[in-house]
Amino acid sequence: MPDQPPSVPSAAPESPIDAEHAAFIATAGASISVGSSSADLLPSITRGIGCRIAPDRSRISVFVAADQARELLDDVRATRRIAVVFSEPHSHRTLQIKGRDAVVESLEPGDRERIERYRTAFTAELGAIGFGPLFTHALIDSGGGDVVALAFTPCAAFDQTPGPRAGEPLANAK
Amino acid sequence: MTQRLDAIRECLEGAVPGIMATCAADGTPNVAYLSQTEYVDGRHIALSYQFFNTTRRNILENPEARLIVTHPHTGERFRLRLRYLRTETAGPLFERMKAKLAGIASHTGMSGVFRLLGSDIYRVSEIERIPGAALAPPPPRASLLAALRAVSARIACCRELDLLFAETLAGLEAQFDIRHAMVLLLDGSGSRLYTIASRGYEASGVGSEIPLGQGVIGVAAREGTPIRIGYATLEYAYGRAIRAATEASGLADALETEIPLPGLADSASQLAVPIRAAGRLLGVLYVESPHNLRFGYDDEDALVALAGQLGAATLALQQASELQEEVLVPEPPPQSSAGRPVVVRHYAGDDSVFLDDDYLIKGVAGSIFWALVRDHVDTGRSTFSNRELRLDPRIRLPDLSDNLEARLILLRRRLNEREACVRLEKAGRGRLLLTASRPLTLVEAGQGGARADGAGC
Repeated sequence: MPDQPPSVPSAAPESPIDAEHAAFIATAGASISVGSSSADLLPSITRGIGCRIAPDRSRISVFVAADQARELLDDVRATRRIAVVFSEPHSHRTLQIKGRDAVVESLEPGDRERIERYRTAFTAELGAIGFGPLFTHALIDSGGGDVVALAFTPCAAFDQTPGPRAGEPLANAK
Repeated sequence: MTQRLDAIRECLEGAVPGIMATCAADGTPNVAYLSQTEYVDGRHIALSYQFFNTTRRNILENPEARLIVTHPHTGERFRLRLRYLRTETAGPLFERMKAKLAGIASHTGMSGVFRLLGSDIYRVSEIERIPGAALAPPPPRASLLAALRAVSARIACCRELDLLFAETLAGLEAQFDIRHAMVLLLDGSGSRLYTIASRGYEASGVGSEIPLGQGVIGVAAREGTPIRIGYATLEYAYGRAIRAATEASGLADALETEIPLPGLADSASQLAVPIRAAGRLLGVLYVESPHNLRFGYDDEDALVALAGQLGAATLALQQASELQEEVLVPEPPPQSSAGRPVVVRHYAGDDSVFLDDDYLIKGVAGSIFWALVRDHVDTGRSTFSNRELRLDPRIRLPDLSDNLEARLILLRRRLNEREACVRLEKAGRGRLLLTASRPLTLVEAGQGGARADGAGC
């Protein structure tokens, strides 16, 4: 691991995310952003509207509105690359998790409730820094269209909280 | 591309941070939150380069990027396709972003963490409105074009320089609801600005100075670009900047702080706009507010347009005053002045003048005052023409750009504000009348020893 650049880690047998990170990802009202890239190296981006994390942290699913993320979904289907950032506005605490095996899936039972819980948590979080609920709802509005899950195995995770440790792998950041 | 970049400039103000995706040469994507996005022109934006991070590494390998920005009021989101072009590490754009970033850092508790290393310039090739709900935008505070038109009309009516400044500041309050503003002019030496007019402060601060490059005002002047910050930051607080400059240069400049700069103690939003005309800098129009994010891109545009008018009018009135035929008026009979003589002390080194122990003014305005009172005491004259002052070898006008008219305004205001026993009034076109209500005792201090001229007037 130490000999390799941090952006291309070898496949880790264990999740790079510990239980505390998982709790942060799953329950904090963090802003969620999802990136991918096409085969010809054009990046794509959309906003996430919730997520699910497997109990053993081996799999993360991020929910996105399909008609807001056409290019990103095409890219994920074509290259399976994904990068997801969770950033908590009031504390600036920021994590980035990357995967190389992302797939586009339908929602599972319970995901609608997860999206609703995320909406509540994110609304409270933005409310604390001065944004009203209607604004936050617009920000993560899915337009009533399809919502899909982008499921992937986390293969690398980085601390991106602004400051001297930004960019370090989570294991080193602790 | 149907959406114009200039129409969504508000999204770049950073109320909601931009999110950007880049990808490495091996295709690995990366997502970053941006603390600062800056509108450059209809086709370009600039992003702050603060750390050598993955985003930075990626754009150097692969210049393609995508960015989502959010409207601060409606929540509408726009996705921009970007291509990295170059990085600027000095100059107007860099300085604009550096000042703004200092405000953002201060507001978000990131002072000392956020530091601008460069302005990364990107071309915007596509703008897509992301489907989704949007809130109704708030009604505009006022029509800025209507406000600009009204103040322009007032400017166009001014026939005197001091009235021009007063009308501009009054117009800013009446039409733009900008209640705290000042006009500063560039000293002929080109190294500092002096306050010629202000509005909305407890003390006018007329005559106060700020070195080029210091604070929001000094940087705007040095770089010839508007500097606008939405949150208070110590880094650009001019009071602090002045103190630091004074300390650095030692005792010689201690008088610079003798007249405090006007300014809001709780200033949050600040905008300094260079006043330019005929290809050169004349000064700075500065406005501020105790509210965060009070001035947006449109306010900046309006004040830049207004500063253009102000500059042209300033130059025209200055030139008119220099070409004016003087109208000869008879010398008034000598007036008797009574009471204890006031000691007028002049220091030749910096042309500073004190009335008894009160500092009055220094520099060009100081040398003008000293020449006037010398002649008044020596020959009993009370009227003077602008023309003779302009030619007077004792008055050190550094060059043509240091305008005599502006210096006389400064001097007149300082005398009035100090309620001095000496006053200067206009006495017809291009002429001045000096009146003294107490006898003057002149003392030349420094440079060859004090010279005392005791004389009643």
